[in-house]
Amino acid sequence: MRSILQIISLLSLIALTLPSVLFLAGRLELDMVKWIMILATIVWFVTASLWMWKDNGEGQQETG
Amino acid sequence: MDTEQQSQTKSEFEREPVPKSALLGFKSFIGMYAGEHCAGTELMLGPLFVAAGVSAFDLIIGLLLGNALAVLSWMFMCAPIATRSRLTLYYQLEKICGRKLVILYNLANGVMFCFLAGAMVTVSATALGVWFRFKMPGLNDLYPNSVGWVVAVAVAGGLIAIVAAYGYQTVAKFANIAAPWMVLVFLVFGFVGLRQFIEATGTEIGSLSDVWHLAKTQIWKGGPPQEGQVKFTFWHVTFFAWFCNMAMHIGMSDLSVFRFARKSWYGVASGAGMYVGHFMAWISASILYAYQLHLNPADTDVLPGPLAYRAAGLVGLLCVIIAGWTTANPTIYRAGLAFQALSPKSSRFKVTLITGAIATIAGMFPAIAMKLLGFVALYGLVLMPMGAVIFVDFWLIRKFGMQSYYAELSGKTFNWAAGLAWFVTLAIAWVLVKFAGVQIFFVSLPGWFVAAILYIVLSKFYQKKLRPDAVQ
Repeated sequence: MRSILQIISLLSLIALTLPSVLFLAGRLELDMVKWIMILATIVWFVTASLWMWKDNGEGQQETG
Repeated sequence: MDTEQQSQTKSEFEREPVPKSALLGFKSFIGMYAGEHCAGTELMLGPLFVAAGVSAFDLIIGLLLGNALAVLSWMFMCAPIATRSRLTLYYQLEKICGRKLVILYNLANGVMFCFLAGAMVTVSATALGVWFRFKMPGLNDLYPNSVGWVVAVAVAGGLIAIVAAYGYQTVAKFANIAAPWMVLVFLVFGFVGLRQFIEATGTEIGSLSDVWHLAKTQIWKGGPPQEGQVKFTFWHVTFFAWFCNMAMHIGMSDLSVFRFARKSWYGVASGAGMYVGHFMAWISASILYAYQLHLNPADTDVLPGPLAYRAAGLVGLLCVIIAGWTTANPTIYRAGLAFQALSPKSSRFKVTLITGAIATIAGMFPAIAMKLLGFVALYGLVLMPMGAVIFVDFWLIRKFGMQSYYAELSGKTFNWAAGLAWFVTLAIAWVLVKFAGVQIFFVSLPGWFVAAILYIVLSKFYQKKLRPDAVQ
């Protein structure tokens, strides 16, 4: 189950980025890019939370 | 880093060297640095480079060089001491400077953290402006300029402070989950901004040299800065990239991090943070602002919310809010910890809330965010002299016939040699900036040598009487 969630998470990050590459190449409209990014973001936060939440403790720090 | 292990070991080894069994591998440091240095403030800093009139060559090459110097500073200044002493910054400072001087250092650190958190709250509040359409501050605004802005910052900062006080660990967990997503959204900003430039200028891209031509002539054109901004040259960019985290590498804050490293060369892991956060993210954010100026040269406002929304819609806004929130959260928490050292019996909850309130009030004043380039340079400068003191105390002071860890050996609670080295260095830096026309971005380098020499000379006079039982 964990492996499946990790694969879906990874795919969602690819789905987050790939449309902007296609937009850069002139192959996709920006509105479509934004919609795909919303879906990819939802999938990422749902699936990543399921397998990352327990692994994480203390986190980040500020920078400039 | 295995964060559960990290927090456990942190509490275990605050006043003793980290044992071999608790050391961490190289990959732990890569992940930690990549996440830490992609923060909400990157969305301000990138655009501010453009507002400072930077040219393409100066920006790209300056960032490559400056970030390399920062990585080398972690590798050769901070990590070698960390992996030999394996102590936290605070315990090492206490041994050298004494408890009371460390409290003063904590106070300075806490104040700087508060203002930095304020800038992060400002970043988050600009996202609310896209939804609620209140008047937001301009590039040269120093004070809040609308009721809507004050309310937005109060709401964003208030929520951040309350959550930090109640559930720091929960937000920290969320921040770890958000980090990879956030890094990629920054990358998307760059891709989208670049395409928007290509379309807006009608440029034909057939090779990398076409991209470079676009960058030079349309994105980072150089020329005079925006009104009220300092002109940034190659050297400004280089020194800024090198010293924006000066408190952490040359200032030795990250002794607390690298004490867990098996080898000192793990310091190279900081490169993940530098070239993701302080190269890719700055460049991406700067493209968004340059595009805004391209569309309307009179629209000089540096507002991450609208910039991100134009490029990536709702996800862009979410990125601005999460970037500001997840990085302000530990900053407020750490500022609270620093202040709590002044009064250890006070409640952590109350101190964090009060710290958050101060950061929120600071965030209402756009001066901090709009002058973030100068503020970040100041942040490094203020804490740098103590890094020089640690460096000299660890490597050099015995060669001059004096003792390391003088406060511990003598039983003093305030090492005046270290204290004066700190204060006098800052006073000299202030004089150089105020009266000699040296810009704040450049005083830290000579300042380090001033602090180091002062500490050696002052220690010569100061180290007279050691605790008899401590002398070997």
